[in-house]
Amino acid sequence: MLDLQRICFGYSNNIMLLKELNLHISAGEFIVVAGRNGSGKTTLTKLMMGLLKPTTGHVLFEGEDVTGQGADRMARHVGYVFQNPDRQMFRDTVGQEVAYGPEQLGFETAATAAAVEEALRLTDLTDLAGVYPRTLSKGRKQRVAIASALAMKPRLLILDEPTSGQDAGQREQLLSVMTRLNRQGMTIMLVTHDMEILTRYASRVLVVGDAGLAFDGMVETLFNGDYPLAQWGLSEPAIVKISRGLSALGVATVFAAEELQKNIQPLLRKGDGHEPHSTAH
Amino acid sequence: MPAITFQDFSYQYPSGQAALENIELQIPEGSFTVVAGPSGAGKTTLCLAIAGVVPHYHGGRVAGRVTVAGLDTRIAGLAQMAERVGTVMEDYESQLVCLTVEEDVAFGLENRGMASKDIMIRVKEVLQLTGLEGRGKLEVSALSGGQKQRLAIAGVLAVQPAVLVLDEATSALDPEGAADIYRLLYQLNRQQGMTVVVVEHDLAKVLPYADQFLLLQDGKLAEAGKPAMVLTQMRQHRVFTEALPPLWRLKLGLEESGCGPLGDWRDESDAVAELTGRITGREMGVKESA
Repeated sequence: MLDLQRICFGYSNNIMLLKELNLHISAGEFIVVAGRNGSGKTTLTKLMMGLLKPTTGHVLFEGEDVTGQGADRMARHVGYVFQNPDRQMFRDTVGQEVAYGPEQLGFETAATAAAVEEALRLTDLTDLAGVYPRTLSKGRKQRVAIASALAMKPRLLILDEPTSGQDAGQREQLLSVMTRLNRQGMTIMLVTHDMEILTRYASRVLVVGDAGLAFDGMVETLFNGDYPLAQWGLSEPAIVKISRGLSALGVATVFAAEELQKNIQPLLRKGDGHEPHSTAH
Repeated sequence: MPAITFQDFSYQYPSGQAALENIELQIPEGSFTVVAGPSGAGKTTLCLAIAGVVPHYHGGRVAGRVTVAGLDTRIAGLAQMAERVGTVMEDYESQLVCLTVEEDVAFGLENRGMASKDIMIRVKEVLQLTGLEGRGKLEVSALSGGQKQRLAIAGVLAVQPAVLVLDEATSALDPEGAADIYRLLYQLNRQQGMTVVVVEHDLAKVLPYADQFLLLQDGKLAEAGKPAMVLTQMRQHRVFTEALPPLWRLKLGLEESGCGPLGDWRDESDAVAELTGRITGREMGVKESA
């Protein structure tokens, strides 16, 4: 779907933040982008969206060279939700805000209305359609920004740290929307520092570091290998750390607390030499 | 002695929106307190009430009393409160006011009339503490989001407040960066006796350091006490369970299935040590012979 070929980019001429970066994204992937603060995660997504122009190299969408064509052209295919959603909001109501994108793309009135309605429904904002967006909480503003992107029916949706500032419930809700869209065929790319999200949702992980992609692969590979996670600005999720700490006792590396619980329950009962509820504590 | 006391404190914003209701609370001097709860529960308002910004800046209706380091926040002015309480809010960029990193850290000290050579020493110290050494001459606008967040913390630490309040002060930091900041806060808390109050969504990040958890819900204090007790009650009462750290989901899950009781795990190494002991039977032997 989207290809980055030998991309080099720097904000000043003499320092290249990204060097000779190659990336191929296929339709239907759920990609999580991680990496240290300042490693170039946001830069990478902005290059994909046409918000930044590579110093050298090419961006291809469905095989067509779209390098330097700008975000307005890419907006037909790629939705982008900024880290700070305030900066992309300027209309009087949530409904109008979400309608802006389809209007700019030349959707007819009925098609715009339908797209807005669907986007608001998916993000659970229907009741807030008439509200002034800038007075909303950060979590809700984030959802308005996502609805705005969805209304343009993108094939690829890029979200830059969409869950920062959101509580655990809102985070789950947002990810369930992303999962649903992904099942319907939308390609999702999510930038996050949250290792829980990374382990639970990513079909592919990209770690941006060392001026390029320090890692490109599956979650299992990332946490089962001997990679310099701390150097990359990542941390081992708690359950991975515990299961690896118990590996000498034959415990497999897993990601979910419930799975680890199931695996160690029999070992604990055997170790205690007691049946449940009869420990000597 | 409590550093912060809330006595039957209620607050409504001028819009009429009730933010806090009948809060009865003590935060001991030198403690590390974590405020948790869903969005909109009143966490930020609680922070603002400690700083005196609520009600002095926002207006609105107040009932009850908040006392911080011996000062009644209704009577003390904002400037007087700022001498004692340092705050870093979620919108940290709004509190960066100067052109360069150094100037920004020095700002609060200059306002207090500190001698310039002392300011230079303090600025250097604080930049080093917050991992910004060597960046003093940079323009603030050249910093990344995470670095700006560190700078906001540096500016507050420079004036050495008795109470430090941070509202999601590590939200833009990578996991290692966030861990560094919390380790630093813990160090200041233990070594200098600074009272620390933080709002944090990811409870696992602060579990190793917290003395007290406060759980707010709809403006009310739903639970307060030692982290272990609050986490257990969240599970038992099915309150805000999505915020339970995976470490504690494992512990409480094992206990519920009859594999307990287990210790009050602070981090993964506690869990590995106890589980290893239990599985190999070693820990049982020690206990029985003791």
